[in-house]
Amino acid sequence: MDLLRAEQVFQDGLLGRSQDILGTVRGNKRESAETMFGVYRNAYWARLAEVLGNDFPGLKALLGDPAFDRMARAYIAKHPSQHPSIRWAGRKLAEFLAAEAPYRDDPWFADMARFDWALAFAFDAPDATAAGLADLVGVPPEFWGSVRLRFHPTLDVFPVSTPVDEARPRLLENAEGALDRAARCERAIMAWRIDYDVKFRTIDLLEHAALQAMQGGATFGDMCELVAQEIDPDQAPLRAAQILQGWLEWGIVAEVEHDGLGSAA
Amino acid sequence: MTERAVSSLGFGLGLRPQHYPAILDGPAEVARAIDWFEILSENYMVDGGRPIAKLMAVRERYPMVMHGVSLSIGSTDPLNMDYLTRLKALAVRVEPAIISDHLCWTGVAGLNMHDLLPLPLTEEALSHVVERVDKVQSFLGRPIALENASTYVTFAQDAIPEWEFLRAIAQRTGCRLLLDVNNVYVSAFNHDFQATDYIDAIPRESVAYIHLAGHENNKTYIIDTHDHPVVDGVWDLYAYAVRRLGPIATMIERDDKIPPLEELTRELARARKVADEALNRAVQVA
Repeated sequence: MDLLRAEQVFQDGLLGRSQDILGTVRGNKRESAETMFGVYRNAYWARLAEVLGNDFPGLKALLGDPAFDRMARAYIAKHPSQHPSIRWAGRKLAEFLAAEAPYRDDPWFADMARFDWALAFAFDAPDATAAGLADLVGVPPEFWGSVRLRFHPTLDVFPVSTPVDEARPRLLENAEGALDRAARCERAIMAWRIDYDVKFRTIDLLEHAALQAMQGGATFGDMCELVAQEIDPDQAPLRAAQILQGWLEWGIVAEVEHDGLGSAA
Repeated sequence: MTERAVSSLGFGLGLRPQHYPAILDGPAEVARAIDWFEILSENYMVDGGRPIAKLMAVRERYPMVMHGVSLSIGSTDPLNMDYLTRLKALAVRVEPAIISDHLCWTGVAGLNMHDLLPLPLTEEALSHVVERVDKVQSFLGRPIALENASTYVTFAQDAIPEWEFLRAIAQRTGCRLLLDVNNVYVSAFNHDFQATDYIDAIPRESVAYIHLAGHENNKTYIIDTHDHPVVDGVWDLYAYAVRRLGPIATMIERDDKIPPLEELTRELARARKVADEALNRAVQVA
């Protein structure tokens, strides 16, 4: 058997796709090949389930240990790791939970996994200095409409239909009282990092739409129009300005750009 | 730091996040008890945040060695150039005394099993690994060190003892060796060979540094868990290795059930004592 085939057979044995490996390897004087190969097979599943438990503490608390372990093994079987760092093993977990029975029937699971992942992502995403309100105050009024934002590289934002932001801290602290699993909401969560501290907060769907637009390159003027389509047009400029002010105060913006920057120089 | 200087680094520990406060802000005598740190390369192949900041704070005070688990030098998949590029970038940042990984493979067909899997010990595998070590060293512009992994099975087709396999790689590529004395002990037990035969076959000029660690003995086989103190049998084998190889940089790995730093520095003090006694005895015998 050549090296390529030997490695394929070994890996298929780990993944439970074939038992051919048992005719290829040896145990020792005391234990069979099956027992000794079992050391590798057991370690494979246990290691990945443990890492997922560490990376998704909210989901693990929500499911409970035995159910989390079953879910983790189903996920690993469907999405074996492809990245050299085990830290990325869970990158498709939220997607898996949203698509696969029985987890897809309860939106809490995918929402919690998405939230856990955003917090883990923010932890070691690239460093950047946050812009502040002063960066906006310096923009000449005639260029306000052209303001574009470069967002902080740690920022992740996503919609949820369950109040996982409220439930997660309680679950992690083993707080008394059952969760209202029937609770539903319409909002988005944003997670980012300031220095070494990971932050999160919830925003309404209008603000989420505004954020997505500006992440996609829209100007503040475009964002004002978007807001005006959703609320009383007279109130839109104030609401849009409040949204922008909040982003700068929270530290999710890395840079404020506008058309006057080139001419000012 | 030159490659030659690696073996004289002294006595080190694996850098673990639980110990950042004790290393950076703890008692000076604890910090002074450690000569260098080995980092797990993949843990710092991230873009920013606390991991990088703490890494560099520790690096300002200590020499470092980079130790990886995902090079997959024995895999029949192509070398992962994205991984190697990140590894090289981390090395520019850390300026390690040496970069090490394992004689193993971690996956094929684009998958990663995140384990140090054994190779069939054949001429084909040897040639394959030699070719890849040459490529990796050429890309990184420096020699790497390869570690003997603990193994739990052997292949029916094995034709070369592992110690000869490892020695041949070192001789053909000029790579260094990371001699894990615990892994020699574990594999010797699991595969019924003499651990001292393994140590005897290792070319002393190739050894960059030594690993020590604890394991879990299940009576009929041993699992390399890195979650216990070093056992007496491994200390004895370490003394044997030092007598044969001479003074050599040594570090203790602990990856699970990680105790306070003080406890690990006490274990490190034992390593110094065992090495000193072994060297004195070697001098007396000579």
